[in-house]
Amino acid sequence: MKRIGGFFKDINKNKVLLLMALPATLWFLFFSYLPMAGVVIAFKEYRNSRDGFWASIVDSKWVGWDNFKFLFSTNDAYIITRNTLLYNIFFIIVGLVLAVTMAIILAEITNKKLAKVYQTGMFLPYFLSWVIVGYFVFSFLSFDKGMINQIGSWFGAEPTQWYTEKAYWPFIIILVFLWKSVGYNSVVYLAAIMGIDKSLYEAAMIDGASKWQQIRNITLPMLKPLMTILTLLAIGRIFYADFGLFYQVPRDSGALYSVTNVIDTYVYRGLKATGEIGMSTAAGLYQSVIGFTLVIVSNWIVRKWDKDNALF
Amino acid sequence: MSKVRKSFVTTLVLMLALSLSLSACGGKKEESTGTPEKPVELIWYTIGTPQKDVDRVMEEVSKYTKEKIGATVKMNMIDWGDYTQKMQVMTASGTPMDLMFTSSWAFDYVQNARKGAFLPIEDLLQKQGKGIVDTLDPAFLEGSKVDGHNYGVPANKELPAQSVWRFNKNLVDKYKLNLDNVGSLESLEPLLKTIKENEPGTYALAVDKTFNPIVPFDYIIENMPMAVKVGDKDLKVVNILETPEMKQTLATMHKYYKAGYIPTEAATLTSLSDVQATGKWLTDKATNQPFADNLWSQSLGYPVVSKAASPALIYNWSVMGSMQAISANSKYPEKAMEFLNLLNTDPVLRNMIDSGIEGVHYKKVGDDAMENLPESKNYDMPTFSLGNVMLTYRDKNDPENKWDEFKKFNDSGEKAPLLGFNFDPSKVTTEIAAVQNVKEEFWASLMTGTVDPDKFIPQATAKFKAAGLDKIIAEAQSQVDAWKATKK
Repeated sequence: MKRIGGFFKDINKNKVLLLMALPATLWFLFFSYLPMAGVVIAFKEYRNSRDGFWASIVDSKWVGWDNFKFLFSTNDAYIITRNTLLYNIFFIIVGLVLAVTMAIILAEITNKKLAKVYQTGMFLPYFLSWVIVGYFVFSFLSFDKGMINQIGSWFGAEPTQWYTEKAYWPFIIILVFLWKSVGYNSVVYLAAIMGIDKSLYEAAMIDGASKWQQIRNITLPMLKPLMTILTLLAIGRIFYADFGLFYQVPRDSGALYSVTNVIDTYVYRGLKATGEIGMSTAAGLYQSVIGFTLVIVSNWIVRKWDKDNALF
Repeated sequence: MSKVRKSFVTTLVLMLALSLSLSACGGKKEESTGTPEKPVELIWYTIGTPQKDVDRVMEEVSKYTKEKIGATVKMNMIDWGDYTQKMQVMTASGTPMDLMFTSSWAFDYVQNARKGAFLPIEDLLQKQGKGIVDTLDPAFLEGSKVDGHNYGVPANKELPAQSVWRFNKNLVDKYKLNLDNVGSLESLEPLLKTIKENEPGTYALAVDKTFNPIVPFDYIIENMPMAVKVGDKDLKVVNILETPEMKQTLATMHKYYKAGYIPTEAATLTSLSDVQATGKWLTDKATNQPFADNLWSQSLGYPVVSKAASPALIYNWSVMGSMQAISANSKYPEKAMEFLNLLNTDPVLRNMIDSGIEGVHYKKVGDDAMENLPESKNYDMPTFSLGNVMLTYRDKNDPENKWDEFKKFNDSGEKAPLLGFNFDPSKVTTEIAAVQNVKEEFWASLMTGTVDPDKFIPQATAKFKAAGLDKIIAEAQSQVDAWKATKK
């Protein structure tokens, strides 16, 4: 009984903190942990039952690993896995470098009003939906009305059919992704830079350190924990591709599939025909398991190398 | 601490179990007790852009149905593009509903009937749905059976599907084009050429990514490459890309594409509504019904004429073009059927659902004709999706014999080879998902003529085969053979 008393005492002591954590805890409980039971659908041939959702799950037939087969049934499996991984690795590396660089540059701008203007300008694309971004890109790349072909024609260049030429698309995809996301990430880093103790820089300046030396020896090391955490989290999502980016921006053009087809678009296109919930659950489960493994592994590597920066 | 945790876990498990059993209880069927005094509420999901006055009209509708069948109606509209996905999620999760729209092209009827989304309705049709059985062309109920059961009430409307070439009459008149010989894709060439030469910036043959050229085949699954040739007594399932008809048509399309008759971005063009609004097009493909020219001219705002491009055939997909089904989890299936019966036999109810409140949204001009009032913009419903269209009042511009012509058109239709056959894909779902991906990669660019068929048909076929097309064809063939045997 004493223990129970201790438990309540603990709660009472931390009630403010616990209260603050409560909304997020509930949110995770209801929207992340509770639905996890739904992974059983991945192993079932889901059929509606008259008696509602639970009965449908219970009554549906077990099919083992059958739902996973379509992910690996063709040589497309290789293409979609390759595309998903390579794009995401590129996004993580280039995104990190650019976001940190931008954050440092923004922090160094002395005219704070201008800095805010740049920051807002970079931040804005993050709030646009991919559908709208898709039309922005289309206004550049459209064959007969697009800006690029129009400008090209002034110089006598032959118009290009952008939406059927797959050679350009890896660059277009990466460019569009960075344009949309770098602003947001750089704000996160900018906040961290603002939090660095100013006296460190003052001391460095007194010692005669140049701007470059200050950045290399103070800013970057201070940002390292944040960079590690954000990168680890990004690695956890390495098997998830941004559906809008790979579906809306190339306008679902069939000729570009070999460079734009990723796991998410493949699953969407495959299941549009059959509408099998079991198969889409299987795809989601597969992505989660791989993502989970990758987070554990990369965290383990980080811990070996620098214990303080690991997530857990 | 461990004791506390244990009791906590027990509580949690109990709570979960409780919520499970509660929701299981909630799913139990109740006996229907609808009377004019104590009506039951029917929840109805249907397709179309949500209209402002739906609730207002349904209030009126409910007053009427309460007296007639002891039920009130709550209608929920879901927009065209969202309907399939939202309904799939809602039926899978057991959202309460009684009636819903289903069809061959949105919220797939056959597929969802097999998944158990709808109630089989043969018995209900015999008891509460007598009026439907009497008014509907028998071909509708026969053609919409899935594995021997009826799961939905097809709307009484045009039965066969006939492709036509539609022409923008302004351009036809301007260049005095002669449409007498129009028929095949090839016959369009001189007309397209005239427009290309004289009207820069106009789509001669307006084609978007959903375009399918007219070939005499009946598809096993719409827009998947497995098909049976019209007129083939043996019902042999073939890869449509390897047929001479398709090859020749695609070669012509590619020729037109290179000549500039087809929009350069046809393969990624999602809709033609822009050029239709500006009138910068000469011809496109459409599906016919009697007096369709009037309908098109009215909705586009300028005159349109059409010429037949294929014979009128009754396909599975045209029979199942618009249906209302009763949900498998409906609490009041009998009431729902009574309502469907009324909807398909009672002109008062049918026109209220279709056009709104008399004197507010429309006014009657004559016995069976009407005129829209300005308020009708707040209640503009897709007529074909809401049951028997032959009960609806004619527009004042429509000819008197409109519905007779519909009946004639329905009688003239011949049966497509696979009418009544429904493919059961459950043994080949893996292959279908893979083939679907290959199809998405090649279909639009081939069908719109964007790429050279001589080069891309072999490529596509090789990929289709790798994805398992042959297995699907073999499975389809064995099902078709079994079905053919039962028909004899």
